[in-house]
Amino acid sequence: MRGPSVPSLLGFFIAALLVCPAAPLGAASVAPVDVLLAAPSDTELRPLLDKLKNGHSEERASWKFWLGTLAGKSVVLTRTEGDPLNAVAATTLAIRRYAPKLVVTFGPSRAHDPALRPGDLLVSGSFVAFDGMVSPVNALGGGSDSLRWQKLPHLLATSGEKETAVFSFPVDGKALAIAIKLPAPRGRTIPGVLGSAAQLNREADRVAWIHQEWGTSSEDGESAHIAGCAQLLGVPVIGLRVIDGAEGEAGAVALNFMEAWK
Amino acid sequence: MKFLILSLLVVTVARAAEPVEVLVQGAENLEVREIVAALEQPVKSSIGPFTFWTGRIGGHRIAVQLTGQALLNCTTSTILGIEEFSPKLIVNQGTSGAQAPYLTLHDIIVGRRALDYSGLITPVRAAGQGTYPLRWTPVAQSLRDLVSGQLVVFPEGFSGDPAAMAVALRTRNPMGRVFAGVIGSAHEVNLELDRVRWSHATFGMDVEEMESGHVAAIAHAYGIRYIAFRVVSDAPYDGVPFYALAARATGLFTVSFLQNLPPL
Repeated sequence: MRGPSVPSLLGFFIAALLVCPAAPLGAASVAPVDVLLAAPSDTELRPLLDKLKNGHSEERASWKFWLGTLAGKSVVLTRTEGDPLNAVAATTLAIRRYAPKLVVTFGPSRAHDPALRPGDLLVSGSFVAFDGMVSPVNALGGGSDSLRWQKLPHLLATSGEKETAVFSFPVDGKALAIAIKLPAPRGRTIPGVLGSAAQLNREADRVAWIHQEWGTSSEDGESAHIAGCAQLLGVPVIGLRVIDGAEGEAGAVALNFMEAWK
Repeated sequence: MKFLILSLLVVTVARAAEPVEVLVQGAENLEVREIVAALEQPVKSSIGPFTFWTGRIGGHRIAVQLTGQALLNCTTSTILGIEEFSPKLIVNQGTSGAQAPYLTLHDIIVGRRALDYSGLITPVRAAGQGTYPLRWTPVAQSLRDLVSGQLVVFPEGFSGDPAAMAVALRTRNPMGRVFAGVIGSAHEVNLELDRVRWSHATFGMDVEEMESGHVAAIAHAYGIRYIAFRVVSDAPYDGVPFYALAARATGLFTVSFLQNLPPL
């Protein structure tokens, strides 16, 4: 698809005639699990894998899943490689195969909000995937200026061949209430807006623009895309991100969350 | 009336369905309309929010899939489509914006390769020093090879299936020309001609859109044959604005391609 959506008569016709219930996602290959825990790399997963009881792993295409129990709850862990495509693919497969009740995305992130400090635990108040953009028409020689780009919403597929335009994805309230009480590795525990894109932004003016226009508190490569995927498939989600997190810090936070989550 | 009948045939899917030979994808209703209309004995189903129509075209068992726009929708829906229908070939088709001056409205690019061009690292610049997108460093899509354990980078993206390309390049476009080319995907609409030219020079892109490169990566991960067709729906060099009905050209082209496609 290219550019903003143009609603078709077909879509409206069918939508008017039919209220489609959300269809199931297919048979899970094993019994449903309580929680899917998704992290960008082995570094973040290691503290959880070390504590996993009755564990075994399964693979599909380019993605791997570790199953077992943590803190008495059945879990599946997956590695998202820290980019949107791998994160969404792994999340979709895990939801289809293991039907988790909750998705937890955790790992390090980089601050967009200048008030954040290294070691702060940022808990998702909401998520934004800030990769959508439309640039203004500009002739050859006119240059390219990302501070003049406009935001492009995500058009979430919606039952009945419809779309729902959104700029942010919601978080599970019950999980948020638990997470906000967790201790931070080196700083404070703060609710915020977890932003993600396949981007490493180090231009201060662009970071300030994303913070202002999208409302991001931090950026990473996957969290909001995981949240968007979870929303598409109807599964609650929570995000736990340590600002400039050191090795093992985000994993320790995720373990603490699993202890507290009922 | 045909669509009314289709809408009443909705079934929910409880387990993997009968396999298909070809999974044909479009992001929008207009992009699948001609193909759904050409299906023999169509049956409609859904998985989560995504709609599928199964049937036959040219003797092949087909699933037509409405993927939704951009990475989030198309990655989720492609995984579900593969898991459900185990296709031998994926055809991703729809509209696109020209990235090269030789292209105009209704021309079709057959994807010699498709890539995600959205990944980037910016240089470090202090507050007040501005932003320069033409100096950003691209970051290519990676996929894990679970046999070696290595994360493999694909800077050129993913090649179109040679046999499917050969058939496509012998297929008539009823509304314009057909070229082999490079398709770039991102959740972006680029209308700054300097960045359009940069994308063409940096990635070799002939057109930009929002799904092909992502679906190509998923197909590669599964080892499934893949081809993409993109009709030019806007041409910024010519000042041609987005024309959604251009999707009809690639829909009709795809039907002809499926009719020409030998048994898989």
